[in-house]
Amino acid sequence: MSSADSSAPSALDDLERLLIDGKAAFESAADADALEKARVTFLGLKQGRIKTAQEVLKTLPGPDRKAYGQRFNAVKTALEEACELARLRIESGQASQAVASIDLTVPGAAPRFGRRHPLTQTAEELIDIFGRMGFSLARGPEIEDTFHNFVALNIPEHHPAREPLDNFYVTPGTLLRSQTSTVQIRVMKKCQPPVRVVALGRVYRPDAVDATHSFMFHQIEGLYVDRNVTMANLKSTLRQFAKSYLGQDVTVRFRPSFFPFTEPSVEVDMQWDASGRWVEMGGAGMVDPNVLKAVGFDPEIYSGFAFGLGIERLCMRRHGIDDIRPFYQNDYRFLNQF
Amino acid sequence: MIVSWNWLLEYLRLEMPVDALTEKLALSGLNHESTEDVGGDLAIDLEVTSNRPDCLNHLGIAREIGVLFELPVRYPDPRPAAGKNAKSVTSLASVENLEPDLCSHFTARVITGATVKESPWWLRKRLETLGVRPISNVVDITNYVLFECGQPLHAYDLGKLAGRKLVVRRGIENEKLQAINGKTYSMTPNMLVIADADKPVGLAGVMGGLETEISASTRDILIESARFDPISVRTTSRALGLFSPSSHRFERPMDPEKTDWASRRCAELILELAGGTLAEGVIELGGNLPKRAPITLRLSQISRILGIEIPESEVREILHRLGLKSHGSPVEGQSTWTSPSWRSDLEREIDLIEEVARVHGYHHIPEDRPVPMSVASRTPRERVESGVRDTLTGAGLFEAVTFSLIAENLSKPIPGDLAPSVAPIRIEHSSRKKETTLRPSLVPSLLEARAYNQAHGSPDVNLFEIAHVYLPRPDRELPDEPVRLAAVVGGDWRQAKGLAEALASRFHLSGKLTTRTNANQPWQVLAGEAQAVLELSGKPWGIFGNVATDTLKDIDLRLPCAALELDLSLLIELAVLEPQYRRIPDQPAVTRDLSLVVSDRILWSQIAEAASHSAGPWLESIEFLDDFKGGNLASDERSVHFGMSFRNPTRTLSGEEADQAVAEVVRSASQNLGARLRQ
Repeated sequence: MSSADSSAPSALDDLERLLIDGKAAFESAADADALEKARVTFLGLKQGRIKTAQEVLKTLPGPDRKAYGQRFNAVKTALEEACELARLRIESGQASQAVASIDLTVPGAAPRFGRRHPLTQTAEELIDIFGRMGFSLARGPEIEDTFHNFVALNIPEHHPAREPLDNFYVTPGTLLRSQTSTVQIRVMKKCQPPVRVVALGRVYRPDAVDATHSFMFHQIEGLYVDRNVTMANLKSTLRQFAKSYLGQDVTVRFRPSFFPFTEPSVEVDMQWDASGRWVEMGGAGMVDPNVLKAVGFDPEIYSGFAFGLGIERLCMRRHGIDDIRPFYQNDYRFLNQF
Repeated sequence: MIVSWNWLLEYLRLEMPVDALTEKLALSGLNHESTEDVGGDLAIDLEVTSNRPDCLNHLGIAREIGVLFELPVRYPDPRPAAGKNAKSVTSLASVENLEPDLCSHFTARVITGATVKESPWWLRKRLETLGVRPISNVVDITNYVLFECGQPLHAYDLGKLAGRKLVVRRGIENEKLQAINGKTYSMTPNMLVIADADKPVGLAGVMGGLETEISASTRDILIESARFDPISVRTTSRALGLFSPSSHRFERPMDPEKTDWASRRCAELILELAGGTLAEGVIELGGNLPKRAPITLRLSQISRILGIEIPESEVREILHRLGLKSHGSPVEGQSTWTSPSWRSDLEREIDLIEEVARVHGYHHIPEDRPVPMSVASRTPRERVESGVRDTLTGAGLFEAVTFSLIAENLSKPIPGDLAPSVAPIRIEHSSRKKETTLRPSLVPSLLEARAYNQAHGSPDVNLFEIAHVYLPRPDRELPDEPVRLAAVVGGDWRQAKGLAEALASRFHLSGKLTTRTNANQPWQVLAGEAQAVLELSGKPWGIFGNVATDTLKDIDLRLPCAALELDLSLLIELAVLEPQYRRIPDQPAVTRDLSLVVSDRILWSQIAEAASHSAGPWLESIEFLDDFKGGNLASDERSVHFGMSFRNPTRTLSGEEADQAVAEVVRSASQNLGARLRQ
């Protein structure tokens, strides 16, 4: 019993010493580092002196434990308050010191930089994705002859697509290309299968300019010709492209359509969000045997697919742009958004 | 093409909901635009692609639905009977066809004693669902048959036809016809007309004439059902800006077996709804059915193109449902087919493969059959263009995309090596009245974009563009389309030139860049005294300068600016894309600045050249610092301040050696350029 009698007051004394030492340490802390050091020493949850004091509690007999426990709680609260007061003192002191000398909240001196046009950004991304899928970039002239723009694409003389009203003719035999498919022909005439290219560039159609039409716009067109190329390859390629471009899994749907230079021809829809909405992406199909023949490939040996996507449309969808005209106005307030 | 739901019910039983119908049609080639409730009927708008004119009518759509849903279709079989003791049609009217090449088939039937009045409710309702205004029973019937089977018809008031005769002939220059829309049109020999003994009474396949149209007093009717050359109809329709449901169908291949069918159908309905007596017989000119070549289909080709196997039995079933006829049984996966009269688009094996795929359903084609791996590398052009964009956007310029077509007054070829002295290419198109020229240079477009920004609160936007220009080649059909880089920036020519220098440095060509005056051939867009040509390795690269005051005024630009236009292909050709490592020197450099006073006719390039030739072997670089006029200098003098850096790669250079080199530079400059050291 005597040991218990003597131990209780000594334990309480320890508590008082802890309170005095702790207050002194917090009050003398000059900066955040010193404060943190003091906090760890006294209030630290693992090794702090308050923790040690708490452990003493368990060793005390019943009656002493109660008195010690009450005092322990008071000391702990007092130390926490001292710590908080010291924190406020140090922070406010720093702030007033800063205002007095240098206002670091004024903006920095940012370098002026421009931006790539949003259509370029979209085009570069598409070229990059298709590049990773093995499609090289090909180019062709914007002013084309009727052989490349029509004849070789299975659009014979007198076809309605050749109407002067629907094309920008330069001379009776040349015109501003109405599609980038012309590049297909130029590429295939130059090399032998396998051919795997994307062509990108400006195309022209005399549409009246409004929110969704422009007489000049941009297309990207893909072409893959080899032995045993099938429509399943086409669907899979477009799905892989879309997965990469949209960053999530996508389902591809084909709807029958008609283009003179592909057969079968399809419109390509894609679905990716939970709403289940199908979004039109572009046109595609298997290269028409007549087109293969026109460039000297034997359609009995080779087959291929082609697809075309509108750059403006993809860019508008990606950035929520609802009008095509700002692309060509080059308003700084527009260009600076992307 | 708008179809009426109730009308379709005439031909087949539709038990599915309308949405299920339109969904299936959309996934089989007839895109669904909209469905509208029109007073108890549904007007379904379907987009018909140009290869499927057979779907421009209700029977055609019904047939397509029958194929897709495997439903039987009931086709009307019109057999109108001639009246008792009816006169023969040839005694009542005659037809002469002077242009059998443009009109391959012409039929005429005659009904006498009919009563023209309002159509019954069901007929008016049918047409109203399609958005067609009912007129009178006879006219409505011709429209009804048109939208039923796709064959356009025309009904004439026989009593008003001079000589009770029709002649198919070419128009005569300046002959006039007042069409049923009330407008008067001038004929030309390029147009096919239907005339009576005196004058045109209709534009073949496009529109009938007002004078001989059916009116309330009409008693005797001549029904024309014919087939005209699609190109002729299209040419006429375009030349006159006159488009009708009739011309829309005649411009496309028609079902040759419907010409007479439609005439009978029309006669049958007139007898039923307007009474009268059908004359005995029909006047028929031409009408030989085109021969259809057999098409061979190999089963192996279906899987080779589609990437899926479709059982032979299903392939045959689909083709039969589409109306194709098979010749005998298939041998080793090969079968022979003939396409039906209404599908002139089916001529080749690939056409049949597409039909099979479409009806079988594209959803059967898997989307997990990737193509084999292959490598593609970026072309030098892509790498250079990307580097140019990095450099210029980093320098604060925004990339613009402007139109290739510009107004003629802005079309300014750059004289000299950057453009041949040939007039720019003009485009004549009714839709573009102002922008009529394919641009030979980019800078004017960028100046316009700068002006647009000025008008919208940003007067000092720096812009660049990479695009093609179009330069005619007298010796070739296709013009040159060199790729150019242009930039327009606020400030003076040094800003513009600096961009070119930055690019030369970016692509490791600084040493090859030179400036050459073009005073003998200035570009009028730029100020005459403040422009020059840039060369890379002695080849013309581009032009820079201050934008001329007149140009600023023309484009309404308030702030001065400078412009640059470069031939990007030369940069692509010369760019060093894989720079080679040079060891970083471990000996220190010794630098010296000096100012030389020279006549103001002496150029910096001359000073730099003189210095580099005289500074000895350890000269590493010369750097222009600034220049100065006035002060205590004579009025025709200027002082040029520049720095030189010397280094010996193997030992530390002494200050005395550098001083000696500078003294030699001063001596040489004074001897060759009349320079003196500024004190």
